[in-house]
Amino acid sequence: MVMSLNILRCGARISGRSINLLQNCGRYLPKLSENAFRLVSTSACRSTNVRRFTDKHEWISIDGNVGTVGISHYAQDSLGDVVYAQLPDVGTVVEQKGECGALESVKAASELYCPVSGKVVEKNASVEQTPGLINNSCYEKGWLFKVELTRPEELTGLMSEEEYEKFLKSDDH
Amino acid sequence: MAQAMAQNMFRISQVSLNNVVRCNAYAFAPATSQAKAYSSASTTDKEKSKNPIQKSVFISQSTDIFTNLALEDWMYRNFNFNNHHVLLMWRNSPCVVIGRHQNPWVETNTTNVAHQGMEIARRNSGGGTVYHDRGNLNLTFFTKREEYNRRNNLEIVSRALFREWGIESVITPREDIVVKNTYKISGTAAKLGRPNAYHHCTLLVDVNKVALRQSLHKDDKGIVTNATQSVASPIMNLCEINQHVKVERMLGAVGWEYLRTCPETLEDGGQDLINKQRGFQLINPTDNWFPGLNKLKEELSSWDWRFGKTPKFQVNKSFRVPKEFLGEGEMGVQELKVSLEVNKGIIDDVTLKLPPGLLSTNGFHGEVDVVTSLRGQPFSERAVVSLENALHDMSTKEGNLQGKSQFVMNCMRQVMQSV
Repeated sequence: MVMSLNILRCGARISGRSINLLQNCGRYLPKLSENAFRLVSTSACRSTNVRRFTDKHEWISIDGNVGTVGISHYAQDSLGDVVYAQLPDVGTVVEQKGECGALESVKAASELYCPVSGKVVEKNASVEQTPGLINNSCYEKGWLFKVELTRPEELTGLMSEEEYEKFLKSDDH
Repeated sequence: MAQAMAQNMFRISQVSLNNVVRCNAYAFAPATSQAKAYSSASTTDKEKSKNPIQKSVFISQSTDIFTNLALEDWMYRNFNFNNHHVLLMWRNSPCVVIGRHQNPWVETNTTNVAHQGMEIARRNSGGGTVYHDRGNLNLTFFTKREEYNRRNNLEIVSRALFREWGIESVITPREDIVVKNTYKISGTAAKLGRPNAYHHCTLLVDVNKVALRQSLHKDDKGIVTNATQSVASPIMNLCEINQHVKVERMLGAVGWEYLRTCPETLEDGGQDLINKQRGFQLINPTDNWFPGLNKLKEELSSWDWRFGKTPKFQVNKSFRVPKEFLGEGEMGVQELKVSLEVNKGIIDDVTLKLPPGLLSTNGFHGEVDVVTSLRGQPFSERAVVSLENALHDMSTKEGNLQGKSQFVMNCMRQVMQSV
Protein backbone atom coordinates (compact mmCIF):
# COMPACT_ATOMS: atom_id res chain seq x y z
CA MET A 1 0.00 0.00 0.00
CA VAL A 2 2.78 2.43 0.99
CA MET A 3 4.72 1.61 -2.17
CA SER A 4 1.67 2.26 -4.34
CA LEU A 5 1.16 5.71 -2.82
CA ASN A 6 4.81 6.60 -3.40
CA ILE A 7 4.60 5.55 -7.03
CA LEU A 8 1.51 7.66 -7.48
CA ARG A 9 3.04 10.74 -5.83
CA CYS A 10 6.46 10.82 -7.41
CA GLY A 11 5.41 10.88 -11.04
CA ALA A 12 6.31 14.32 -12.40
CA ARG A 13 3.64 14.09 -15.05
CA ILE A 14 0.82 12.14 -13.54
CA SER A 15 -1.26 10.75 -16.34
CA GLY A 16 -4.62 12.31 -16.85
CA ARG A 17 -6.35 9.09 -16.15
CA SER A 18 -5.43 7.75 -12.75
CA ILE A 19 -6.92 4.41 -13.76
CA ASN A 20 -4.00 3.81 -16.17
CA LEU A 21 -1.54 4.53 -13.37
CA LEU A 22 -3.20 2.07 -11.08
CA GLN A 23 -3.14 -0.57 -13.78
CA ASN A 24 0.62 -0.02 -14.10
CA CYS A 25 0.99 -0.22 -10.34
CA GLY A 26 -0.69 -3.59 -10.45
CA ARG A 27 2.46 -5.00 -12.04
CA TYR A 28 4.50 -4.18 -8.93
CA LEU A 29 2.01 -4.87 -6.20
CA PRO A 30 0.37 -7.99 -4.93
CA LYS A 31 -3.26 -8.20 -5.93
CA LEU A 32 -5.28 -5.96 -3.68
CA SER A 33 -8.99 -5.86 -3.41
CA GLU A 34 -10.91 -3.49 -5.68
CA ASN A 35 -11.97 -1.34 -2.76
CA ALA A 36 -8.38 -0.76 -1.76
CA PHE A 37 -7.58 0.46 -5.28
CA ARG A 38 -10.55 2.74 -5.25
CA LEU A 39 -9.38 4.25 -1.94
CA VAL A 40 -5.91 4.82 -3.37
CA SER A 41 -7.37 6.41 -6.48
CA THR A 42 -9.37 8.96 -4.47
CA SER A 43 -6.43 10.10 -2.38
CA ALA A 44 -4.30 10.39 -5.52
CA CYS A 45 -6.87 12.75 -7.02
CA ARG A 46 -6.95 14.81 -3.84
CA SER A 47 -3.19 15.16 -3.74
CA THR A 48 -3.06 16.33 -7.35
CA ASN A 49 -5.98 18.71 -6.78
CA VAL A 50 -4.05 20.94 -4.39
CA ARG A 51 -4.68 24.56 -5.21
CA ARG A 52 -1.93 26.98 -6.16
CA PHE A 53 -2.44 30.73 -6.01
CA THR A 54 -1.18 33.79 -7.86
CA ASP A 55 -0.51 37.24 -6.45
CA LYS A 56 -3.44 38.38 -8.57
CA HIS A 57 -5.74 36.25 -6.42
CA GLU A 58 -6.46 33.53 -8.93
CA TRP A 59 -6.23 29.84 -8.10
CA ILE A 60 -5.49 26.82 -10.21
CA SER A 61 -5.98 23.17 -9.38
CA ILE A 62 -4.41 20.49 -11.53
CA ASP A 63 -5.82 17.21 -12.75
CA GLY A 64 -3.30 15.53 -15.00
CA ASN A 65 -2.29 18.14 -17.53
CA VAL A 66 -5.43 20.22 -17.20
CA GLY A 67 -5.75 23.06 -14.73
CA THR A 68 -9.03 24.50 -13.47
CA VAL A 69 -8.85 28.24 -12.85
CA GLY A 70 -10.92 30.44 -10.57
CA ILE A 71 -10.61 33.45 -8.29
CA SER A 72 -10.04 33.35 -4.56
CA HIS A 73 -12.49 34.20 -1.81
CA TYR A 74 -10.59 37.42 -1.15
CA ALA A 75 -10.96 38.40 -4.82
CA GLN A 76 -14.68 37.69 -5.06
CA ASP A 77 -15.27 39.52 -1.82
CA SER A 78 -13.45 42.64 -2.93
CA LEU A 79 -15.15 42.56 -6.33
CA GLY A 80 -18.65 42.60 -4.97
CA ASP A 81 -21.57 41.01 -6.83
CA VAL A 82 -20.37 39.81 -10.20
CA VAL A 83 -22.91 40.73 -12.88
CA TYR A 84 -21.05 39.49 -15.94
CA ALA A 85 -18.27 37.01 -16.57
CA GLN A 86 -16.37 37.28 -19.84
CA LEU A 87 -14.42 34.04 -20.12
CA PRO A 88 -11.86 33.02 -22.75
CA ASP A 89 -13.23 30.90 -25.59
CA VAL A 90 -12.28 27.26 -25.99
CA GLY A 91 -9.19 27.01 -28.14
CA THR A 92 -7.73 30.35 -27.00
CA VAL A 93 -3.98 30.20 -26.47
CA VAL A 94 -3.09 31.85 -23.18
CA GLU A 95 0.17 33.09 -21.69
CA GLN A 96 1.03 33.09 -18.02
CA LYS A 97 0.08 36.48 -16.52
CA GLY A 98 -1.64 37.42 -19.77
CA GLU A 99 -5.11 38.96 -19.79
CA CYS A 100 -7.70 36.36 -20.69
CA GLY A 101 -11.07 37.77 -19.73
CA ALA A 102 -12.90 40.07 -17.35
CA LEU A 103 -15.39 40.05 -14.52
CA GLU A 104 -17.78 42.94 -14.19
CA SER A 105 -19.14 44.08 -10.86
CA VAL A 106 -20.40 47.43 -9.60
CA LYS A 107 -19.64 49.03 -12.98
CA ALA A 108 -16.01 48.00 -12.81
CA ALA A 109 -14.50 45.56 -15.29
CA SER A 110 -11.72 43.60 -13.54
CA GLU A 111 -9.17 41.86 -15.68
CA LEU A 112 -8.66 38.13 -15.42
CA TYR A 113 -5.08 36.99 -15.69
CA CYS A 114 -4.13 33.45 -16.62
CA PRO A 115 -1.99 31.68 -13.95
CA VAL A 116 -0.30 29.42 -16.52
CA SER A 117 0.42 29.18 -20.22
CA GLY A 118 -1.56 26.82 -22.37
CA LYS A 119 -4.76 26.37 -24.33
CA VAL A 120 -8.27 26.82 -23.01
CA VAL A 121 -10.17 23.52 -23.22
CA GLU A 122 -13.37 24.38 -21.38
CA LYS A 123 -15.17 27.36 -19.96
CA ASN A 124 -17.87 27.27 -17.30
CA ALA A 125 -21.15 27.96 -19.11
CA SER A 126 -23.04 27.98 -15.78
CA VAL A 127 -20.97 30.91 -14.61
CA GLU A 128 -21.67 32.74 -17.86
CA GLN A 129 -25.36 32.22 -17.24
CA THR A 130 -25.24 32.83 -13.50
CA PRO A 131 -22.22 34.99 -12.62
CA GLY A 132 -23.30 35.00 -8.97
CA LEU A 133 -21.83 31.50 -8.65
CA ILE A 134 -18.44 33.18 -8.48
CA ASN A 135 -19.49 34.97 -5.30
CA ASN A 136 -21.31 32.03 -3.73
CA SER A 137 -18.96 29.24 -4.59
CA CYS A 138 -15.65 30.56 -5.85
CA TYR A 139 -13.75 27.30 -5.29
CA GLU A 140 -16.39 24.84 -6.45
CA LYS A 141 -19.26 25.75 -8.78
CA GLY A 142 -17.74 29.17 -9.56
CA TRP A 143 -14.73 27.81 -11.45
CA LEU A 144 -14.04 29.87 -14.56
CA PHE A 145 -12.21 27.89 -17.21
CA LYS A 146 -9.91 24.92 -17.75
CA VAL A 147 -6.57 25.13 -19.48
CA GLU A 148 -4.30 22.46 -20.92
CA LEU A 149 -0.82 23.34 -19.65
CA THR A 150 2.04 23.79 -22.06
CA ARG A 151 4.62 24.65 -19.37
CA PRO A 152 3.77 22.76 -16.17
CA GLU A 153 6.98 24.05 -14.55
CA GLU A 154 5.21 27.41 -14.17
CA LEU A 155 3.25 25.89 -11.29
CA THR A 156 6.30 25.86 -9.04
CA GLY A 157 6.37 29.66 -9.14
CA LEU A 158 2.86 29.91 -7.71
CA MET A 159 1.96 30.08 -4.03
CA SER A 160 0.63 27.24 -1.95
CA GLU A 161 -2.56 27.85 0.02
CA GLU A 162 -0.50 28.53 3.13
CA GLU A 163 1.78 30.97 1.35
CA TYR A 164 -1.26 32.70 -0.13
CA GLU A 165 -2.86 33.14 3.30
CA LYS A 166 0.40 34.70 4.49
CA PHE A 167 0.48 36.94 1.43
CA LEU A 168 -3.03 38.19 2.19
CA LYS A 169 -1.99 39.16 5.69
CA SER A 170 0.98 41.15 4.42
CA ASP A 171 0.71 44.72 3.15
CA ASP A 172 1.64 43.91 -0.41
CA HIS A 173 -1.62 42.40 -1.60
CA MET B 1 1.54 75.13 -32.62
CA ALA B 2 0.10 72.63 -30.18
CA GLN B 3 -0.55 75.42 -27.73
CA ALA B 4 -2.49 77.42 -30.35
CA MET B 5 -4.52 74.36 -31.27
CA ALA B 6 -5.41 73.82 -27.64
CA GLN B 7 -6.49 77.40 -27.30
CA ASN B 8 -8.81 77.10 -30.27
CA MET B 9 -10.29 73.86 -29.18
CA PHE B 10 -10.75 74.51 -25.53
CA ARG B 11 -10.58 78.28 -25.16
CA ILE B 12 -8.95 77.88 -21.78
CA SER B 13 -9.20 81.17 -19.96
CA GLN B 14 -6.11 83.37 -19.76
CA VAL B 15 -6.11 83.01 -15.99
CA SER B 16 -5.83 79.23 -16.21
CA LEU B 17 -3.06 79.43 -18.79
CA ASN B 18 -1.08 81.77 -16.57
CA ASN B 19 -1.46 79.32 -13.76
CA VAL B 20 -0.24 76.53 -16.00
CA VAL B 21 2.97 78.44 -16.56
CA ARG B 22 3.34 79.42 -12.89
CA CYS B 23 2.79 75.90 -11.65
CA ASN B 24 5.62 73.41 -11.93
CA ALA B 25 4.32 72.02 -15.20
CA TYR B 26 7.11 69.79 -16.43
CA ALA B 27 7.75 69.19 -20.11
CA PHE B 28 6.15 65.92 -20.99
CA ALA B 29 8.92 63.37 -21.40
CA PRO B 30 8.87 61.55 -24.74
CA ALA B 31 6.54 58.61 -24.53
CA THR B 32 9.28 56.11 -25.32
CA SER B 33 11.10 56.83 -22.10
CA GLN B 34 7.81 56.62 -20.21
CA ALA B 35 7.04 53.25 -21.75
CA LYS B 36 10.48 51.95 -20.90
CA ALA B 37 10.29 53.32 -17.38
CA TYR B 38 7.15 51.30 -16.77
CA SER B 39 7.70 48.97 -13.89
CA SER B 40 5.40 46.44 -12.39
CA ALA B 41 7.29 46.25 -9.11
CA SER B 42 5.27 47.44 -6.14
CA THR B 43 6.66 50.36 -4.21
CA THR B 44 8.33 49.60 -0.93
CA ASP B 45 7.30 51.39 2.23
CA LYS B 46 10.56 53.30 2.17
CA GLU B 47 9.84 54.57 -1.31
CA LYS B 48 6.33 55.57 -0.35
CA SER B 49 7.37 57.66 2.64
CA LYS B 50 10.32 59.17 0.80
CA ASN B 51 8.29 60.18 -2.24
CA PRO B 52 4.79 61.44 -1.62
CA ILE B 53 2.28 60.96 -4.41
CA GLN B 54 2.37 63.75 -6.95
CA LYS B 55 -0.45 64.60 -9.31
CA SER B 56 -0.71 65.67 -12.92
CA VAL B 57 -3.68 66.88 -14.93
CA PHE B 58 -3.58 65.91 -18.61
CA ILE B 59 -5.92 67.53 -21.11
CA SER B 60 -6.40 65.70 -24.38
CA GLN B 61 -6.43 67.82 -27.51
CA SER B 62 -8.42 65.30 -29.49
CA THR B 63 -12.20 65.15 -29.77
CA ASP B 64 -12.29 61.79 -31.51
CA ILE B 65 -13.80 59.12 -29.27
CA PHE B 66 -11.58 56.33 -30.58
CA THR B 67 -8.40 58.38 -30.16
CA ASN B 68 -9.35 59.31 -26.62
CA LEU B 69 -10.33 55.77 -25.67
CA ALA B 70 -7.03 54.60 -27.15
CA LEU B 71 -5.13 57.22 -25.16
CA GLU B 72 -6.87 56.09 -21.99
CA ASP B 73 -6.04 52.48 -22.77
CA TRP B 74 -2.43 53.35 -23.61
CA MET B 75 -1.97 55.06 -20.28
CA TYR B 76 -3.58 52.18 -18.41
CA ARG B 77 -1.23 49.70 -20.07
CA ASN B 78 2.02 51.67 -20.20
CA PHE B 79 2.19 54.52 -17.74
CA ASN B 80 4.05 54.21 -14.45
CA PHE B 81 1.77 55.44 -11.67
CA ASN B 82 4.27 54.86 -8.87
CA ASN B 83 3.86 57.91 -6.63
CA HIS B 84 2.19 59.66 -9.53
CA HIS B 85 -1.57 59.98 -10.03
CA VAL B 86 -3.00 61.41 -13.22
CA LEU B 87 -6.34 62.99 -14.04
CA LEU B 88 -7.03 62.87 -17.78
CA MET B 89 -9.73 65.21 -19.07
CA TRP B 90 -11.25 64.70 -22.51
CA ARG B 91 -14.23 65.64 -24.65
CA ASN B 92 -15.69 64.06 -27.75
CA SER B 93 -17.73 64.94 -30.81
CA PRO B 94 -21.25 63.49 -30.61
CA CYS B 95 -21.17 59.74 -30.15
CA VAL B 96 -22.68 56.89 -28.14
CA VAL B 97 -20.45 54.85 -25.85
CA ILE B 98 -21.53 51.45 -24.55
CA GLY B 99 -20.04 49.52 -21.63
CA ARG B 100 -17.68 46.60 -22.10
CA HIS B 101 -20.27 43.86 -21.78
CA GLN B 102 -23.26 45.54 -23.34
CA ASN B 103 -25.36 44.95 -26.44
CA PRO B 104 -25.44 48.00 -28.76
CA TRP B 105 -28.66 46.80 -30.39
CA VAL B 106 -30.38 46.75 -27.00
CA GLU B 107 -29.00 50.05 -25.78
CA THR B 108 -29.57 52.19 -28.85
CA ASN B 109 -31.00 52.23 -32.35
CA THR B 110 -27.83 51.57 -34.32
CA THR B 111 -29.33 52.54 -37.69
CA ASN B 112 -30.62 55.91 -36.43
CA VAL B 113 -27.36 56.71 -34.68
CA ALA B 114 -25.43 55.94 -37.86
CA HIS B 115 -27.79 58.12 -39.94
CA GLN B 116 -27.09 61.02 -37.62
CA GLY B 117 -23.39 60.65 -38.35
CA MET B 118 -22.56 59.47 -34.84
CA GLU B 119 -20.18 56.70 -33.96
CA ILE B 120 -20.93 53.88 -31.56
CA ALA B 121 -17.93 53.01 -29.42
CA ARG B 122 -17.40 50.28 -26.85
CA ARG B 123 -15.21 51.19 -23.92
CA ASN B 124 -13.06 48.89 -21.80
CA SER B 125 -14.72 49.66 -18.49
CA GLY B 126 -18.02 48.30 -17.22
CA GLY B 127 -21.26 50.16 -16.65
CA GLY B 128 -23.97 51.46 -18.96
CA THR B 129 -24.46 53.42 -22.18
CA VAL B 130 -23.86 57.15 -22.40
CA TYR B 131 -24.16 59.89 -24.97
CA HIS B 132 -21.16 62.19 -25.42
CA ASP B 133 -20.84 65.56 -27.08
CA ARG B 134 -18.66 68.58 -26.43
CA GLY B 135 -20.93 69.66 -23.60
CA ASN B 136 -19.87 66.58 -21.67
CA LEU B 137 -16.53 66.45 -19.87
CA ASN B 138 -14.92 63.05 -19.29
CA LEU B 139 -12.62 62.60 -16.33
CA THR B 140 -10.33 59.60 -15.97
CA PHE B 141 -8.56 59.14 -12.62
CA PHE B 142 -5.50 56.91 -12.99
CA THR B 143 -3.80 55.27 -10.01
CA LYS B 144 -2.10 52.06 -9.04
CA ARG B 145 -4.57 49.32 -8.26
CA GLU B 146 -4.04 49.60 -4.50
CA GLU B 147 -4.76 53.32 -4.54
CA TYR B 148 -8.00 53.07 -6.54
CA ASN B 149 -10.81 54.92 -4.77
CA ARG B 150 -13.87 56.03 -6.71
CA ARG B 151 -15.63 57.82 -3.95
CA ASN B 152 -12.61 60.02 -3.24
CA ASN B 153 -12.47 61.03 -6.88
CA LEU B 154 -16.15 61.92 -6.95
CA GLU B 155 -15.73 63.88 -3.73
CA ILE B 156 -13.11 66.00 -5.50
CA VAL B 157 -15.54 66.71 -8.35
CA SER B 158 -18.30 67.58 -5.93
CA ARG B 159 -16.03 69.99 -4.07
CA ALA B 160 -14.98 71.63 -7.32
CA LEU B 161 -18.61 72.30 -8.23
CA PHE B 162 -19.19 73.91 -4.88
CA ARG B 163 -16.01 75.91 -4.72
CA GLU B 164 -16.38 77.37 -8.21
CA TRP B 165 -20.13 77.89 -8.47
CA GLY B 166 -21.64 77.05 -5.09
CA ILE B 167 -23.48 74.06 -6.60
CA GLU B 168 -24.45 71.43 -4.06
CA SER B 169 -24.27 67.82 -5.17
CA VAL B 170 -24.59 64.40 -3.61
CA ILE B 171 -22.79 61.13 -4.36
CA THR B 172 -25.36 58.33 -4.42
CA PRO B 173 -24.74 54.71 -3.35
CA ARG B 174 -24.55 53.84 -7.08
CA GLU B 175 -21.78 56.45 -7.29
CA ASP B 176 -23.63 58.81 -9.56
CA ILE B 177 -23.40 62.50 -8.75
CA VAL B 178 -26.85 64.06 -8.46
CA VAL B 179 -28.08 67.58 -7.97
CA LYS B 180 -31.39 68.66 -6.43
CA ASN B 181 -31.57 65.10 -5.04
CA THR B 182 -32.88 63.83 -8.35
CA TYR B 183 -30.95 64.76 -11.42
CA LYS B 184 -27.89 62.83 -12.44
CA ILE B 185 -25.03 64.97 -13.70
CA SER B 186 -22.33 62.32 -13.63
CA GLY B 187 -22.08 58.56 -14.17
CA THR B 188 -19.16 56.35 -13.24
CA ALA B 189 -17.38 53.27 -14.57
CA ALA B 190 -14.01 51.65 -13.96
CA LYS B 191 -11.37 49.23 -15.17
CA LEU B 192 -9.26 47.28 -12.72
CA GLY B 193 -6.06 45.52 -13.62
CA ARG B 194 -2.66 45.03 -12.11
CA PRO B 195 -0.67 47.10 -11.49
CA ASN B 196 -2.91 49.92 -12.79
CA ALA B 197 -6.55 50.86 -12.51
CA TYR B 198 -8.73 53.73 -13.61
CA HIS B 199 -12.03 55.24 -12.70
CA HIS B 200 -13.73 57.47 -15.22
CA CYS B 201 -16.88 59.52 -15.07
CA THR B 202 -18.88 61.90 -17.21
CA LEU B 203 -19.90 65.44 -16.28
CA LEU B 204 -22.97 66.93 -17.94
CA VAL B 205 -22.11 70.58 -18.36
CA ASP B 206 -24.02 71.62 -21.47
CA VAL B 207 -25.07 68.55 -23.38
CA ASN B 208 -27.65 68.45 -26.18
CA LYS B 209 -30.44 66.77 -24.21
CA VAL B 210 -32.64 66.15 -27.23
CA ALA B 211 -29.84 64.29 -29.00
CA LEU B 212 -29.11 62.41 -25.77
CA ARG B 213 -32.67 61.27 -25.35
CA GLN B 214 -32.99 60.23 -28.98
CA SER B 215 -29.80 58.22 -29.10
CA LEU B 216 -30.38 56.41 -25.81
CA HIS B 217 -33.99 55.64 -26.61
CA LYS B 218 -34.70 51.93 -26.25
CA ASP B 219 -37.48 50.06 -27.99
CA ASP B 220 -38.49 46.57 -27.10
CA LYS B 221 -36.89 44.61 -29.87
CA GLY B 222 -37.46 41.19 -28.38
CA ILE B 223 -33.78 40.74 -27.59
CA VAL B 224 -32.98 38.12 -24.99
CA THR B 225 -29.47 38.42 -23.55
CA ASN B 226 -27.40 38.33 -20.39
CA ALA B 227 -25.45 41.42 -21.40
CA THR B 228 -25.26 44.12 -18.73
CA GLN B 229 -28.16 46.53 -18.88
CA SER B 230 -28.09 50.29 -18.48
CA VAL B 231 -29.98 51.94 -15.65
CA ALA B 232 -31.82 55.01 -16.91
CA SER B 233 -31.84 58.15 -14.77
CA PRO B 234 -33.30 61.62 -15.14
CA ILE B 235 -30.51 63.99 -16.09
CA MET B 236 -29.80 67.68 -16.04
CA ASN B 237 -27.08 69.98 -17.34
CA LEU B 238 -25.03 71.89 -14.82
CA CYS B 239 -25.51 75.03 -16.94
CA GLU B 240 -29.23 74.78 -16.18
CA ILE B 241 -28.52 75.19 -12.49
CA ASN B 242 -26.02 77.98 -12.95
CA GLN B 243 -25.70 79.75 -16.31
CA HIS B 244 -22.03 80.53 -15.64
CA VAL B 245 -21.02 76.88 -15.83
CA LYS B 246 -18.98 76.30 -18.98
CA VAL B 247 -16.78 73.38 -20.00
CA GLU B 248 -13.65 75.51 -20.28
CA ARG B 249 -14.07 76.76 -16.73
CA MET B 250 -14.88 73.23 -15.57
CA LEU B 251 -11.48 72.02 -16.79
CA GLY B 252 -9.81 74.49 -14.43
CA ALA B 253 -12.23 73.99 -11.54
CA VAL B 254 -11.87 70.20 -11.40
CA GLY B 255 -8.16 70.30 -12.30
CA TRP B 256 -7.24 72.66 -9.47
CA GLU B 257 -9.41 70.84 -6.95
CA TYR B 258 -7.67 67.59 -7.92
CA LEU B 259 -4.25 69.12 -7.45
CA ARG B 260 -5.01 70.76 -4.11
CA THR B 261 -6.50 67.61 -2.54
CA CYS B 262 -4.28 65.17 -0.70
CA PRO B 263 -4.67 61.75 -2.33
CA GLU B 264 -4.67 59.64 0.83
CA THR B 265 -6.59 61.80 3.30
CA LEU B 266 -8.69 63.99 0.96
CA GLU B 267 -7.48 66.96 2.96
CA ASP B 268 -7.49 70.31 1.20
CA GLY B 269 -3.83 71.32 0.93
CA GLY B 270 -4.53 74.64 -0.79
CA GLN B 271 -1.99 76.49 -2.90
CA ASP B 272 0.88 74.98 -0.91
CA LEU B 273 -0.01 71.50 -2.04
CA ILE B 274 -0.69 72.69 -5.58
CA ASN B 275 2.85 74.06 -5.78
CA LYS B 276 4.23 70.60 -5.04
CA GLN B 277 2.30 68.93 -7.86
CA ARG B 278 3.26 68.49 -11.49
CA GLY B 279 0.49 70.70 -12.82
CA PHE B 280 -1.42 70.80 -16.09
CA GLN B 281 -0.25 69.30 -19.35
CA LEU B 282 -1.82 69.53 -22.79
CA ILE B 283 -1.66 66.17 -24.52
CA ASN B 284 -1.49 65.58 -28.24
CA PRO B 285 -2.48 61.93 -28.69
CA THR B 286 -0.41 60.80 -31.64
CA ASP B 287 1.57 57.65 -32.33
CA ASN B 288 4.78 59.69 -32.12
CA TRP B 289 4.22 60.60 -28.51
CA PHE B 290 2.50 57.31 -27.66
CA PRO B 291 4.00 54.45 -29.66
CA GLY B 292 1.34 51.84 -30.28
CA LEU B 293 -1.53 54.31 -29.99
CA ASN B 294 -2.63 53.83 -33.61
CA LYS B 295 -2.89 50.09 -33.13
CA LEU B 296 -5.09 50.57 -30.05
CA LYS B 297 -7.22 53.03 -31.96
CA GLU B 298 -7.65 50.58 -34.83
CA GLU B 299 -8.79 47.86 -32.45
CA LEU B 300 -11.22 50.12 -30.67
CA SER B 301 -12.79 51.34 -33.91
CA SER B 302 -13.02 47.86 -35.45
CA TRP B 303 -16.41 46.22 -36.04
CA ASP B 304 -15.13 43.15 -34.21
CA TRP B 305 -14.63 45.08 -30.98
CA ARG B 306 -17.64 47.38 -31.17
CA PHE B 307 -20.23 44.88 -32.36
CA GLY B 308 -18.51 41.49 -32.45
CA LYS B 309 -17.74 41.65 -28.74
CA THR B 310 -21.46 41.63 -27.94
CA PRO B 311 -22.42 38.72 -25.66
CA LYS B 312 -24.50 36.20 -27.59
CA PHE B 313 -28.19 36.97 -27.82
CA GLN B 314 -31.48 35.95 -29.35
CA VAL B 315 -34.00 38.12 -31.14
CA ASN B 316 -37.56 36.83 -30.83
CA LYS B 317 -40.50 38.49 -32.49
CA SER B 318 -44.06 37.42 -33.20
CA PHE B 319 -46.35 38.73 -35.88
CA ARG B 320 -50.05 38.19 -36.11
CA VAL B 321 -50.92 36.53 -39.40
CA PRO B 322 -53.67 38.38 -41.32
CA LYS B 323 -56.81 36.32 -41.73
CA GLU B 324 -56.63 36.21 -45.50
CA PHE B 325 -53.41 34.18 -45.36
CA LEU B 326 -54.79 31.55 -43.10
CA GLY B 327 -56.21 28.41 -44.59
CA GLU B 328 -59.98 28.02 -44.89
CA GLY B 329 -61.61 26.97 -41.73
CA GLU B 330 -58.72 28.22 -39.57
CA MET B 331 -60.00 30.16 -36.61
CA GLY B 332 -58.47 32.34 -33.95
CA VAL B 333 -55.31 34.36 -33.77
CA GLN B 334 -52.24 32.76 -35.25
CA GLU B 335 -48.72 34.04 -35.11
CA LEU B 336 -45.60 33.90 -37.23
CA LYS B 337 -42.55 33.62 -34.96
CA VAL B 338 -39.13 34.85 -36.05
CA SER B 339 -36.07 33.89 -34.04
CA LEU B 340 -32.45 34.90 -34.65
CA GLU B 341 -29.42 33.64 -32.76
CA VAL B 342 -26.53 36.10 -32.86
CA ASN B 343 -23.10 35.19 -31.59
CA LYS B 344 -20.12 37.57 -31.74
CA GLY B 345 -22.29 39.88 -33.81
CA ILE B 346 -22.77 37.20 -36.48
CA ILE B 347 -26.13 35.62 -37.24
CA ASP B 348 -25.70 31.99 -36.23
CA ASP B 349 -29.18 30.75 -36.84
CA VAL B 350 -32.52 31.92 -38.16
CA THR B 351 -35.78 30.16 -37.57
CA LEU B 352 -39.20 30.99 -38.86
CA LYS B 353 -42.03 29.22 -37.14
CA LEU B 354 -45.13 29.34 -39.26
CA PRO B 355 -48.47 28.64 -37.66
CA PRO B 356 -50.52 25.72 -39.02
CA GLY B 357 -52.92 28.16 -40.68
CA LEU B 358 -50.17 29.36 -42.97
CA LEU B 359 -49.45 25.85 -44.16
CA SER B 360 -50.63 25.06 -47.60
CA THR B 361 -50.43 22.20 -50.05
CA ASN B 362 -47.46 23.82 -51.71
CA GLY B 363 -44.95 26.18 -50.23
CA PHE B 364 -44.37 26.77 -46.53
CA HIS B 365 -43.79 24.08 -43.97
CA GLY B 366 -43.90 24.17 -40.18
CA GLU B 367 -40.42 25.54 -39.69
CA VAL B 368 -39.08 27.18 -42.80
CA ASP B 369 -35.40 27.55 -43.34
CA VAL B 370 -35.92 30.11 -46.05
CA VAL B 371 -33.16 32.41 -45.01
CA THR B 372 -30.03 30.27 -44.96
CA SER B 373 -28.31 33.14 -46.72
CA LEU B 374 -28.52 35.10 -43.47
CA ARG B 375 -26.38 32.63 -41.57
CA GLY B 376 -22.84 33.84 -41.10
CA GLN B 377 -23.77 37.43 -41.92
CA PRO B 378 -22.92 40.22 -39.51
CA PHE B 379 -26.06 41.44 -37.77
CA SER B 380 -26.35 44.62 -39.80
CA GLU B 381 -27.99 46.36 -42.73
CA ARG B 382 -26.12 44.10 -45.11
CA ALA B 383 -28.01 41.19 -43.64
CA VAL B 384 -31.34 42.91 -44.32
CA VAL B 385 -30.47 43.32 -47.99
CA SER B 386 -29.39 39.69 -48.21
CA LEU B 387 -32.66 38.66 -46.60
CA GLU B 388 -34.68 40.73 -49.06
CA ASN B 389 -32.95 39.02 -51.94
CA ALA B 390 -33.56 35.57 -50.49
CA LEU B 391 -37.24 36.18 -49.91
CA HIS B 392 -37.66 37.84 -53.29
CA ASP B 393 -36.19 34.77 -55.00
CA MET B 394 -38.53 32.57 -53.07
CA SER B 395 -41.61 34.57 -53.91
CA THR B 396 -40.84 34.71 -57.64
CA LYS B 397 -40.44 30.93 -57.71
CA GLU B 398 -43.80 30.29 -56.11
CA GLY B 399 -45.88 32.98 -57.72
CA ASN B 400 -49.22 31.98 -56.23
CA LEU B 401 -47.83 32.40 -52.74
CA GLN B 402 -46.89 36.02 -53.34
CA GLY B 403 -49.21 37.47 -50.75
CA LYS B 404 -48.05 35.12 -48.04
CA SER B 405 -44.36 35.45 -48.80
CA GLN B 406 -44.75 39.22 -48.95
CA PHE B 407 -46.13 39.09 -45.47
CA VAL B 408 -43.27 36.92 -44.23
CA MET B 409 -40.79 39.23 -45.95
CA ASN B 410 -42.28 42.26 -44.25
CA CYS B 411 -42.07 40.59 -40.88
CA MET B 412 -38.43 39.69 -41.34
CA ARG B 413 -37.64 43.20 -42.55
CA GLN B 414 -39.30 44.64 -39.47
CA VAL B 415 -37.21 42.47 -37.18
CA MET B 416 -33.95 43.48 -38.81
CA GLN B 417 -34.74 47.16 -39.16
CA SER B 418 -36.08 47.63 -35.68
CA VAL B 419 -32.62 47.09 -34.27
